[in-house]
Amino acid sequence: MKKILLVGNPNVGKSVMFSRLSGARVVVSNYPGTTVDYTKSRMRVEGKEYEIVDLPGTFSLEPKDKAEEVACKMLEEAKPHTAAVIDVIDATAVERGLYLTLELIERGYPVVVALNMSDAARDRKIKIDVKKLERILGVPVVETIATTGAGLKELVSKIGKAKPTDIEAVKRRLRREKK
Amino acid sequence: MKAKARLSVDERWELVDEISKRVVLRGKYKHTLKDVLSDLSVRPATGIPFMIAVLYGFWMFFGAFAGFFTDGLAVPFFDDHYLPALQGAFPGAGPTMAESSPLYMILVGDPNATNCFEAFGVLTSALFVAFGVVLPAIVAFYLILTILEDCGYLPRLATLADTVLHKIGLHGFAIVPTILSLGCNVPAVYGCRVLETKKQRFMMMTLLGVFIPCAAQIGIMRELIPQYTGLILIYLFFGFFAMGALLNKLIPGRSPEILIDVPPYRSPQRSNVLRKLGLRVRHFLKTAVPFVILGVVVVNLLYWTGVIDWLSRVTEPLFVVWFGVPAATVGALVMAFMRKDMAVGMLGGLASAGVLSTGQLITSVVLVSIYFPCLATFIMIWKEGGTRDLLKSLGVLATSFFVFGGLMHAIVTLAGV
Repeated sequence: MKKILLVGNPNVGKSVMFSRLSGARVVVSNYPGTTVDYTKSRMRVEGKEYEIVDLPGTFSLEPKDKAEEVACKMLEEAKPHTAAVIDVIDATAVERGLYLTLELIERGYPVVVALNMSDAARDRKIKIDVKKLERILGVPVVETIATTGAGLKELVSKIGKAKPTDIEAVKRRLRREKK
Repeated sequence: MKAKARLSVDERWELVDEISKRVVLRGKYKHTLKDVLSDLSVRPATGIPFMIAVLYGFWMFFGAFAGFFTDGLAVPFFDDHYLPALQGAFPGAGPTMAESSPLYMILVGDPNATNCFEAFGVLTSALFVAFGVVLPAIVAFYLILTILEDCGYLPRLATLADTVLHKIGLHGFAIVPTILSLGCNVPAVYGCRVLETKKQRFMMMTLLGVFIPCAAQIGIMRELIPQYTGLILIYLFFGFFAMGALLNKLIPGRSPEILIDVPPYRSPQRSNVLRKLGLRVRHFLKTAVPFVILGVVVVNLLYWTGVIDWLSRVTEPLFVVWFGVPAATVGALVMAFMRKDMAVGMLGGLASAGVLSTGQLITSVVLVSIYFPCLATFIMIWKEGGTRDLLKSLGVLATSFFVFGGLMHAIVTLAGV
């Protein structure tokens, strides 16, 4: 069975999203490091069954602690079976999340970006040009609020559109956006 | 095909910067009440009094909630109605426990017991401890913990604790597994994965396993010796720091600084709080209750076959001289290997039967607390740290057992309790 992996920095809402998408019950808290091992469940996307995996949070693909090691190892092992990586980014700290996104792109994962906590970002007067980000990265980008479920339907509909791209293409597209 | 291009760390950050310049627009941000609260709760001058208030409130709620269900409902029900009815109705009762049938002994326990702590049977003590005492304690503890977790207070507590914990080579974030450990040591040992070095993980797992009692155990301590529970906890925390400082000196390895990521305060969602509380209570029912029952069966069998009497005789000099408690405590220590809450319950039975004085009860509760992590924690440390770490942990544990048990003996003797 093909896998969908939930990846992202610690405390960005991966586990909330996992609960929402799969209906499985996992422990969710408001502090980094709640999830230290992966959790698997099933979900259906457009009639096909997938295995969805909630990974511990990580800042990069070069692990710094044991929880990050679990995430990186799982990503590595699951690579041939990965249908999509849902890369969850805290919309109030986009830069930190994008670092991991670029690493995922460099390694050829099919990525869908979820700009989560978009409500918190709006409260903080942070505006993100989703269309432009999508154009630059060359992967689908969806604004979500995992705790309420907003945007998740759209996110699921984009899972099938996740495809690998490469970093040189990202750079080229970035230069185009400059003009 | 050439290999996919990979960037260096700097190149990647540069690219992130370029992207964010084009897509992220930051407006003027006004500070809100949440930010003010956040600021006040991490600044030491205001944060420390706030922390004390939070922890004190936690403790008071724990006592009041557990007290209401245990003393108000469970104790009258179990001791006044259930126990006498069962003692009368169950076949095989003799004039004393030894003269009763083995089945009666295991399931009901002492036919003359007047309370469920003393009886020590599966249907009496085990059920009473698991459901009458520990369950309310677990619910009370996790209700508050879950709210603290979800609002985002724990990382702030970590910021405040950082200075103190750094003195023993741990990162402030180590306070999070410590607090989790007060609920149950097992997920706490698991949670040590977020610590960066092997040294920190080993230290933390060991200190948790040795010194931090779980909610089940605290619940039953509060029931048996409410006036001393706070002091015993403070004593154990003292042990935690003293042993931590020593380990930090002895174990080679780094204790690097890491930044604590403090999320904004969020209001807890009722559905999530209830779901998490439900998960944790179910986990308790599934993993703890069988051990409580199994423990009571095993200990009763060991009594019946004379193994515990033999152990008591062999270890008597150590217990009487060094710890100042009667050798009968050995039974509780055997029980503690399965479940510490039940072991403390057993000590309560001994105290109410007049075998232990208050001072001896305090010392033996400390012994049970430090002595061996429960089986579940033991397995967890083994799984997370491997055999070598487990053996090293056991070394620390044996040392702590003698030192802090002996010291407690001296303290209760000097205090004349």
